[in-house]
Amino acid sequence: MRLPNTRQVFAAAAATSALLMTAACGGGSDPAGEPTAPSSAATGGASSGSSTGTYADGTYEASASYPNPGGVSSVDVTLTLAGGKVSDVEVKPGAQGTSLQYQEKFISGIAGEVVGKSLDELDVSKVSGSSLTSQGFNAALEEIKSKASQA
Amino acid sequence: MTLPDRWTFEAIGTRWQIDSFEPIAPEVRASVQLLIDDFDRTWSRFRPDSDVTRMSRTAGRWTLEHADVLLGLYDRLDQVTAGAVNPLVGQALSDLGYDAHYSLRPRATVASVPSWASLRRSGATVSTDEAVLLDVGAAGKGLAVDLVVDALDQAGVQEVMVDAGGDLRHQGPASVKVALEHPGDTTRAIGVVELRVDDALCGSAINRRAWGDGLHHVIDARTGRPTEDVVAVWVLAEGSCMHADGLATAHFFADPEALAEVYPHRFVRVQADGRVLASPDLPGELFL
Repeated sequence: MRLPNTRQVFAAAAATSALLMTAACGGGSDPAGEPTAPSSAATGGASSGSSTGTYADGTYEASASYPNPGGVSSVDVTLTLAGGKVSDVEVKPGAQGTSLQYQEKFISGIAGEVVGKSLDELDVSKVSGSSLTSQGFNAALEEIKSKASQA
Repeated sequence: MTLPDRWTFEAIGTRWQIDSFEPIAPEVRASVQLLIDDFDRTWSRFRPDSDVTRMSRTAGRWTLEHADVLLGLYDRLDQVTAGAVNPLVGQALSDLGYDAHYSLRPRATVASVPSWASLRRSGATVSTDEAVLLDVGAAGKGLAVDLVVDALDQAGVQEVMVDAGGDLRHQGPASVKVALEHPGDTTRAIGVVELRVDDALCGSAINRRAWGDGLHHVIDARTGRPTEDVVAVWVLAEGSCMHADGLATAHFFADPEALAEVYPHRFVRVQADGRVLASPDLPGELFL
């Protein structure tokens, strides 16, 4: 992913690392930030409070968008630097346009919280998952696993 | 409803299970297996004598049985996914380790994927300017299921459930319930859907056909790399397992509304960002 300007702003503070990962999931991006951080700034370990002060104090704004299966998602970030440290971060993740429509139009839930039900509890004729793979594939996979565990 | 007669066999790289109300006569079984073998000999990139393997050695002009139907669907999927679904991912898949020998070890360099438009087609005849490796894994098995259902129907076997490694087509008289396997736990289900007569259900998930960190079989043709945005999809479509199968892959890459124009269907989609999207009129229940 390419966030040439916003990435360095993000990296200036550990507080924003979660956001960086969110944006990094998306693939392409089109940062439209202004003003931007100096591109030559060393980002170092990005640990909190270790800013080297290479960023000028002020308020930085940037937005990044990235395609996802539900359309285009975006994040708008406003970050304030004072005394070389991040004093404020505001993040507005945006479901917008088609993504928002989908949230309203389709059943929606959070998979991370979906425990589901045990197959033993269900009265079903079939189970549908990823396609069962061939014996050749499975045998090769087992061989690799066993070699890996011996290594 | 339980269909009393069960016939299982291994073909085109997966396990088939055909349940029927009446036993299927030996000569009908033989004709079904011949049909599947013909299909495999045309489309399999895993056997040295297939047309697809010949195409991977040299440029040329080839007539491939069912190419009008199968590659016609890929034309649509290429359009609606902006090039993400493209059978020309074959070489990239092979380079990533999913090759004819199942080496499952990625090569240092992975081939870039030619655009789908670079393969010219007129009806069932295709022309290539270079050697290309086709992988019709997104919809081929679904079409094979449809062909088997048609052949059985013509032989008088109408009450039947055809299951090719989880790609289902249900022709039985009553509805059946099918669990949707939890993408993170194969002992659990995230929901149950009900298949009515002539329904097809296909699932695609990146958990099982995976062979390494980030290596699985759903390739974005635009990057040549496995996709990461969606982890599991199910598509329920009436009358066509091929469309259900192809759309299940397309859901890894495209808007549901754009896909609805390809073929009417219902879907469940588990995205990597944690959301589950599903058609409101899905016949069944999700345990969300």
